[in-house]
Amino acid sequence: MNAQAVILAMLPEHILLAGIVALMVMEVVSDKPRGELALSVLVVAAAATAAAILGFSGQNLAPFAGQFSVTPSGSLAKAAVLALAVPVILFSREDFGTGAFYPLLLSSLYGVCLLVSGDSFLTLFLGMELMSIPVYVLVLLAFRRPESAEAALKYLVLSGTASASFLMGASLLYGSTGTLGLTGFAGALASDALLARTAVVMVVVAFFLKAAIVPFHTWAPDAYEAASVPVTAYMAVLVKAGVLIMAVRLFGTAPVSVALAGLLFILPFVSIVWGNIAAIRQTSFRRMIAYSSIAHAGYLFIAFLGDGPGRFQAVVFYLLAYGAMNILAFAALPPDRDDLARDKLENLKGLFHRDPLAALLIGMAMLSLAGIPPFPGFVGKFLIFKNVIAAGYTTWAVLGLVGSYLGIYFYLRVIQYLFMTPGEAAVPAAGPSRSLAMGAGLLCLAASVLLAVFPGWFLGWL
Amino acid sequence: MADSTLLTLVLYLPVAGMFAIAALPRGRDDLVRGLTFWTMVLQLALTAVLYAHFDPAAPGLQAKTSVPWIAAWGVSYTIGLDGYNILLVALTAFLGPLVTAGAFSAIQKDVKLFYAMVFLIQFAMLGTFLAQDLFLFYLFWEAMLIPMFLIIGIWGGERRIYATVKFFLYTAFGSILMLAAVIYLVWALWQSTGTVSFAFADLVKARLPLQAQQWLLAAFALSFAIKVPMVPLHTWLPDAHVEAPTAGSVILAGVLLKMGTYGFMKLGFPLFPDATLLAVPLISALAVVSIVYGACLALVQTDIKKIIAYSSISHLGYVMLGLASLDLLGIQGAVIQMVSHGLTAAGLFLMVGMIYERCHTRELAKYGGLAKVLPVYSVFFMILTLASVGLPTTSGFTGEFLVLLGAFNAAWREANGFALAMAGIAVSGVVLGALYMLWFAQRFLYGAEKVPHGPVADLGGRERAILAAITVAVFGMGLFPDSFLRMTEPAARDYQRLVSTPRLPLAKVAAPAPKGEVAK
Repeated sequence: MNAQAVILAMLPEHILLAGIVALMVMEVVSDKPRGELALSVLVVAAAATAAAILGFSGQNLAPFAGQFSVTPSGSLAKAAVLALAVPVILFSREDFGTGAFYPLLLSSLYGVCLLVSGDSFLTLFLGMELMSIPVYVLVLLAFRRPESAEAALKYLVLSGTASASFLMGASLLYGSTGTLGLTGFAGALASDALLARTAVVMVVVAFFLKAAIVPFHTWAPDAYEAASVPVTAYMAVLVKAGVLIMAVRLFGTAPVSVALAGLLFILPFVSIVWGNIAAIRQTSFRRMIAYSSIAHAGYLFIAFLGDGPGRFQAVVFYLLAYGAMNILAFAALPPDRDDLARDKLENLKGLFHRDPLAALLIGMAMLSLAGIPPFPGFVGKFLIFKNVIAAGYTTWAVLGLVGSYLGIYFYLRVIQYLFMTPGEAAVPAAGPSRSLAMGAGLLCLAASVLLAVFPGWFLGWL
Repeated sequence: MADSTLLTLVLYLPVAGMFAIAALPRGRDDLVRGLTFWTMVLQLALTAVLYAHFDPAAPGLQAKTSVPWIAAWGVSYTIGLDGYNILLVALTAFLGPLVTAGAFSAIQKDVKLFYAMVFLIQFAMLGTFLAQDLFLFYLFWEAMLIPMFLIIGIWGGERRIYATVKFFLYTAFGSILMLAAVIYLVWALWQSTGTVSFAFADLVKARLPLQAQQWLLAAFALSFAIKVPMVPLHTWLPDAHVEAPTAGSVILAGVLLKMGTYGFMKLGFPLFPDATLLAVPLISALAVVSIVYGACLALVQTDIKKIIAYSSISHLGYVMLGLASLDLLGIQGAVIQMVSHGLTAAGLFLMVGMIYERCHTRELAKYGGLAKVLPVYSVFFMILTLASVGLPTTSGFTGEFLVLLGAFNAAWREANGFALAMAGIAVSGVVLGALYMLWFAQRFLYGAEKVPHGPVADLGGRERAILAAITVAVFGMGLFPDSFLRMTEPAARDYQRLVSTPRLPLAKVAAPAPKGEVAK
């Protein structure tokens, strides 16, 4: 370990840490601190830039060998994930003018960064907990209804179960291979030994729990609905990204074994079908997005059937495209009297006549989530299924695509509400200015356009 | 200006127009209409220049632009004109200003969004015809759905939501399976030749085993047959047509349905020739069923829009029959029939829209004796009706006659009894077609005078100009078919050659075993 490598390789994490400390000091020093939002945006953007520079300059560093290392593609994935957090913070002002929101969010992001770069089960576990614990608090932070507490508890318990399963898997892995490193897991994937196989299954179950794959998904709709809009966006996009990037790094580039392929296909496929069908019945926007994100987690795990470097590319690209469009939808969501009213899907009726820009943004987000070309969601889906077919799983790929077809209906329904159904001409109460939220939305739109037009450029770096 | 620049300009003009009208201030609907119309006229003028420069004898793509796009996947951005698409591009550009002008009075709600969507669909349709790369084609193909979904859903009739969701879900189902087929095809091309490419020119080199060809053809055909639509996948069409605003119907019937037949001609059949040859009896049988069934349904409709909607199914059946005949005349006839139907159906839908704006009903029984009240309207209506039933000197005659000639030719040459029977039944479709259209015209224009919400004014200058343009085109194609046939002949020969040449894998040259095959 040399000091220079530690400073350089962990620069994004250091920037985040400095930001967290600064925000906490501000909180202590001043009764009514100001500029927290600006500082957080600045810090996260700086961390993302640092990660991007590390990636583009091709740095391969291992400051703590076997525990933490950076690779160019890992750094770029980190930069992408951190960049996704910027719009989330930008549109949080309506819900959190001030307070503990910002340091908590940044701590959680620190955890995500560890997940992207961690090399052993120890670091990964640390990252996973660091990512999740602030989120339990965040769900409760904008305490608005009694159900919030219930949902947060449900999330805490199920997430704790995931951690337990993960730890159990890690210890079994240590028992069978004698190492906690990534290579140990790769060995266990290839192994036929019962102990190693159990370890793999325990770890995969932990991923499924954290990413809300059916039948481990029940916490997601409740937690998404109970949390405030920015926290829901954070859970749907960044927490999911952290879990999936960790998983894809653990799986590496080797083809999965036949038995594991079954596990990695069946439950995600059920998630796609169930998520898409259950979303049809929802009347709450956030619950609908929760089911949609259950389905999207399904596509993401199906990407694991593909092999080679394409697997990592497909997952990261998909996360980015899915994340940008999800955040876009949340940012453009119109404000209303209270949180319950804001969350109603009915609230979107006739939005085009009240706020054309917001309606267009949400409409595009829905089409992208549905995977309709030419939006980036399509490119992501294309990439996933291209790899899966190239790996020889043609039938499964076709099934997955047909499952994705089931989702089109409920996304279309949102568009129908936005453009085709007249709404009550209720003018929303004059709230705080929406310029920041709209700015966040346009930022996501710009990123999505770039992703859709130049996917090759981005993939070339991964 | 180089032709390739001109073509790029033609393709992206609607996008520019869309942003231009979006930037216009609120409440200036007249400005929006004018800007849209003149942009469309400019597009038509530029297309006319391209059409004049097009050299049918030259091989390969003309006015071509090709740049690598996503190099790692072998995706390139390639557009260009060839014998396959030249007439359809011209048709699309020709209908653009007419659709726009036709909606001036009918669309009063959300005018800006409406014309933005018309621009968007114009862009997507031209892109689909011009794309020479399967990935690009698929993007444009799917992108067409979105503006159409909104056009029907926002400005449509009472059951518009039902109709538009049905339209979207039907077409999207075909597309999703086609997507799987596209990915598999490109992967198979890579497996068999080592090339990673989505270019049409490369894809026709793929050598696939018969079974794979059959699956892939089925997936492509499902998507295209829904779009055409061929019986029994046609049920979305009457709903969509009836509920769509006039402009939506015109775009649907005029251009959108041709996407299906164009897809068969450009991709579906030439990519999988061996499977196609085996499927020819099935395809021609379905085509003939579409012709006869569509005509029978048109005969019993009481809604004037539905009559024309079902007649579309019947007319596009001829196109499929011509393509399946694999006879040069039949193929040429199919292309002419596509354009001819685009003109006549667009014209008839516009006329239905015009009478609906005046009388607010589409029920045939409420009308009668319009010839006396609306003489100009009736003359145009009669001309388009006769063109639709294929009266000689109109475009409909050229198309249907060549298709039937081709079908008989092919059946006779091969002494194929089944094909002969199919061609024979198709002829009865011509009779049926004349029956339902003329009966419709008789009840509509003659007999006791019945004008709901009368008295009504005859056609105004704008409406006369629109219909006159269509009439001129209809007679142009009927009287001078040669100049159009000349444009498409090399493409028809190319299609014939591609479909007739077997492309099964060569004798085992140690083809690499598909990776992961063990997994199944």
